[in-house]
Amino acid sequence: MTNPIIHQKRSAQINLGRMRKVFAPKPLSLGVASIMLTACGDNREQAMIFTNLQDCVSQMPEQAEQCELAYRNALEEAQRTAPKYAEQSACEYEFGAGQCTSYRSNDGNSWFMPFMAGYMLSNLSSSRYYSSPVFTSYSRYSPYRYRWISADGYEYGDIRKRRVKVSKKAFSPKPTVSKTIKRGGFGSSVRAKSSWGSSRGGWGG
Amino acid sequence: MVHQSEQNPLGAVQEVVGEVSLPFTIHMLRIQIPERPHWRQKAEEFGFHFHTFDGEPYWDETAYYQFSLEQIENDIEAPTEEIHQMCLEVVDNVVKDEELLRLFQIPELFWQQIADSWRNKDPSLYSRLDFAYQGKGVAKLYENNADTPTSLYESGFWQWLWLEEQVNRGKLSRGSDQFNSLQEKLVHQLRYIAEHYRVSHIHFSCCEDTQEDRGTAQYLQDCTREAGIDAPFVFIENIGLSETGFFTDTHDHTIDTLFKLYPWEFMQREDFGEHIEAAQVNWIEPMWKSVLSNKALLPMLWKMFPNHPNLLPSWFESELPTSSSTPLVKKPIFSREGANISVIEQGKAHINTGGPYGEEGYIYQAYCPLPKFGDNYTLIGSWLVGDQAAGISIREDASMITQDTSRYLPHIIL
Repeated sequence: MTNPIIHQKRSAQINLGRMRKVFAPKPLSLGVASIMLTACGDNREQAMIFTNLQDCVSQMPEQAEQCELAYRNALEEAQRTAPKYAEQSACEYEFGAGQCTSYRSNDGNSWFMPFMAGYMLSNLSSSRYYSSPVFTSYSRYSPYRYRWISADGYEYGDIRKRRVKVSKKAFSPKPTVSKTIKRGGFGSSVRAKSSWGSSRGGWGG
Repeated sequence: MVHQSEQNPLGAVQEVVGEVSLPFTIHMLRIQIPERPHWRQKAEEFGFHFHTFDGEPYWDETAYYQFSLEQIENDIEAPTEEIHQMCLEVVDNVVKDEELLRLFQIPELFWQQIADSWRNKDPSLYSRLDFAYQGKGVAKLYENNADTPTSLYESGFWQWLWLEEQVNRGKLSRGSDQFNSLQEKLVHQLRYIAEHYRVSHIHFSCCEDTQEDRGTAQYLQDCTREAGIDAPFVFIENIGLSETGFFTDTHDHTIDTLFKLYPWEFMQREDFGEHIEAAQVNWIEPMWKSVLSNKALLPMLWKMFPNHPNLLPSWFESELPTSSSTPLVKKPIFSREGANISVIEQGKAHINTGGPYGEEGYIYQAYCPLPKFGDNYTLIGSWLVGDQAAGISIREDASMITQDTSRYLPHIIL
């Protein structure tokens, strides 16, 4: 607009690239992560990745206690949130031979999940710090091969890299993978009322 | 007689054809304009698939409505925010009153959950208030679509793009603006909601086989991704229940935050309804909105704010004045898209739209006809994102009652 409107009542800018559907490449689950990592913002912080407890303690001996606490938190979180597979072969296909362990959930079911490959720590010098498990794949069938990834598929870069900039959200609790016992418990009202054929369909108003 | 007079009630309304050079006027105008030559192709490119239905236009850019800034700010924007605050006061009363919860036909199982979601201040995403407004005088509230409002994409994005392109083509003045900060505010509010719940994902859901609802959900997914938040999708019918009592998507991932384009009053009465509490989902819209998306809201508003200029007198069935000389509109407590609505004059129904609703009872509202522009009855939808007024959408219908076959027209402020 050549004449800037002082009290503009409409959205100043819309990202047309995001709204375009035909030419836009289909985003993979990884697409979002790369946006988060490249977006400039105040919300990002420096994080460090350690491959095990000893790695953390040897690099920060004066913070050995925090290292251990963070390690235990991450292990617990990994059990809860790591991708779970019914078959060992399926897990190894994604993460590589010998990279998976069996796991028995609280409800008594057996699963296979990848080993925690490391843990990511937010700035230890601040009074509140967060930890989060990270995984990697050695499978040549996986797009995550030799990359750090979170339980829900966010990618943090090459596994040789130990310092990463991440969104604060990287440390928020991840969804638990659950065994679904039943589907179709929502939506019956639509079937009951749809003989009236809201002409374009839809139950909004 | 349905119409108060056969004459156009808006004698001053002008139909103007062609390029815009108008005298100053205080009235809302309906102005014809050439369509953008390749807009259908553009719609394809942007994934707007429901612009035409059964060969009939839904998106109609052969004309637009023009408002003045004063009309928008004084007659629409300010009342929208004021009525929203009044509605929140109604919620505050209803959630702690069993008698009212019963009157609102809310199943007892959800009383505590609704009260909790209200007490926790679970954030709302959006609402649409529908008004009868003719460009002068006060806008009268028809209803509040607080739970599952649609026509969001065509409002927030498509009419915005239309204005941008018509200005660039020289068909509209460079000074043209639009009351439409929807997309900007949606992105902001979605980011706020994700931060509020400390989540990195919001799941989105609507019913299968509805192109329009899928389009609305897709739009909100786009806004969510614009906010830097992941936005997976699951159809309502495919939502699963896990052994541990959580809801899951088709990848067996736990749903912790869910936008559902599906009415609360349905969910509360379906098989998984009893599992809602244990599933511990952050709901969008939050469950306290069950109180607002309910037509019982209208008589409650009238009781709490009698004679408010933007309200139409409304009554519960049991409290209907015995002799009413003015015509009334009878609306089911739960209904969508103008279904099951009748206009009653001296005890006789004149217009009666069919539909599947009404088993939970009805409310009555004083009849206030929609303004007519040419052959069209015009309804204004006024959007809220969170607590802020965020724009308008305009629907036209050849019938008195705006239904889901009504056409959508863009607007400008000049």
